[in-house]
Amino acid sequence: MRRIQAIAWNTFREAVRNKILYSLLFFAVLIILSALAMGNLTLHEEIRMTRDIGLFGIDAFGVIIAIFVGVNLLYKELDLKTVYTILPKPLHRWEFVLGKWLGMLLTLAVQMGVMGLVLGLTLWWQGAQFDTPMVKAVWLLFVNVMLVTSIAVFFSAFSSPFLSGFFALGCFLVGRSVPDIRALAAKLGPLAKTVLETGCSLMPNMHLFYPSGAIVGAEELSVHRDFVGASYLLTSTAYGMAYSLIVLILAMLIFRKRDFV
Amino acid sequence: MSDVVLRADDLAKTFRLGFLRKRIEAVKQASFEVRRGEIFGYLGPNGSGKTTTLKMLMGLVFPSRGRAEVLGRPVPDRQAKRRLGYLPESPYFYDYLTPEEFLDLVGALFDVKRADRRARADRLIERVGLSSARGRPLRKFSKGMLQRIGIAQALMGEPELVVLDEPMTGLDPIGRKEIRDLMLDLKREGRTVLYSTHILPDVEMTCDRVAMIFAGRIRNVGPLSELLTARLLSTEVCLRPGAAGLPDLPQGARKIESPDGLVIDLPADADVDAFLRAVLAAGARVHSLTPRRESLEDLFVREATSQRQGAT
Repeated sequence: MRRIQAIAWNTFREAVRNKILYSLLFFAVLIILSALAMGNLTLHEEIRMTRDIGLFGIDAFGVIIAIFVGVNLLYKELDLKTVYTILPKPLHRWEFVLGKWLGMLLTLAVQMGVMGLVLGLTLWWQGAQFDTPMVKAVWLLFVNVMLVTSIAVFFSAFSSPFLSGFFALGCFLVGRSVPDIRALAAKLGPLAKTVLETGCSLMPNMHLFYPSGAIVGAEELSVHRDFVGASYLLTSTAYGMAYSLIVLILAMLIFRKRDFV
Repeated sequence: MSDVVLRADDLAKTFRLGFLRKRIEAVKQASFEVRRGEIFGYLGPNGSGKTTTLKMLMGLVFPSRGRAEVLGRPVPDRQAKRRLGYLPESPYFYDYLTPEEFLDLVGALFDVKRADRRARADRLIERVGLSSARGRPLRKFSKGMLQRIGIAQALMGEPELVVLDEPMTGLDPIGRKEIRDLMLDLKREGRTVLYSTHILPDVEMTCDRVAMIFAGRIRNVGPLSELLTARLLSTEVCLRPGAAGLPDLPQGARKIESPDGLVIDLPADADVDAFLRAVLAAGARVHSLTPRRESLEDLFVREATSQRQGAT
């Protein structure tokens, strides 16, 4: 455990000392604060606007940071040859991958925490609250970011950062569109339907983590009302964690067999 | 306790590169043993397969053939790695860390407790002469300082076997001497050192035994005294000729002008006594007489040349 903890802490420390991440965080905070200006353009919908734009900012920048850092997580170790110093130490290769992933999650948790705090302060400034639906929404976005990170790490275990980023972004976009693809499949012939349905089953269903505006049963889910219940939160989190674990195990298996030339 | 701490048995590595999967045989055959308490030199020209061999021994690269054992266990083995220190070639470290932070990370990977890590890191920073730079990030370190922190991290687990890949590369003469002294200190402490290099004078000064690798194949393994032939190659006579000039030189002798006079290089079969008598009789003043036997460099060049001729 101490070894995994050491790698995770070092990964976090590397991110904290990386100026690019501060720039991304700055832009995310800027977008959240822009909700104040945008709200003035609406008729008594300032708080709704802040919530929507704030969640969009946390979601978009969380995913961008997850892909940007995730695809470089292992590649950078190979490119800078730091892996030659670390792997001959009494450390399993899977421990190294797991430590890097946990460090990355810690980084993202802190980043999303800061973004959430800024959003909360903005809402407080407007006389509203960062209420339970918002906490649930940010938690779901964090699970989503965890899943994106795992996918980015998986691709980076065997391909370049550019390709890994391309594939990870593709997975995210397709994953977010799973209900739309399913709706499209329902209108197509049996072969196309089977292909699309199979594809949707294999791809991560990331729409689960951004359900505001979706119709579940006859009811529209919205962070401006009750949003999702505890059982939805639990099953979505379990789904995200299970998918992340499978992808991470695949990344570990690939990393285990690699030659570090 | 076994006398052999590292054994490479018929190791080979073939890489397949590019779209056409072109075969590159980096190591064709490497068999050697490193014995407890010795300094073992792994010599070869650039691109001969030294680093690939060491990477196979460290578990960074999987061999295509053969097997390796480190500290009695097949590679890679975590228990063996606990007793092993390794410095990679041209080491790159996390440059945002200070020496203290970096050694703390390495110590944690060896499962060393926090308090012990701090004490060990302090001791090692002192030992490699980096006390004045302990708070500075590694990105501000010179090549020599990085090599020193590299040695310190290799010693963080208090290893029985220390493997150093090209530890002298890029160092100035003082830096090289410091690394040589450190290796001799490690030997005195009872540790075993294996290092790869192509800097031959360092090998002659430090190594008990060596292995030589050329084009991926090991050609010689053993103590230097056994590998270098005792036979005389030539005799060098430094002299200043007298007024009568020089007598006739023996067949095959070469005359080289030097600031102090002349250097006469007599072939191995020349009658040195007769030549000396003749030059002294001619009024010359002899400054020195040096029999030249085979050096490590001669052996290295001879092996490299024969390997190249064999390849063509």
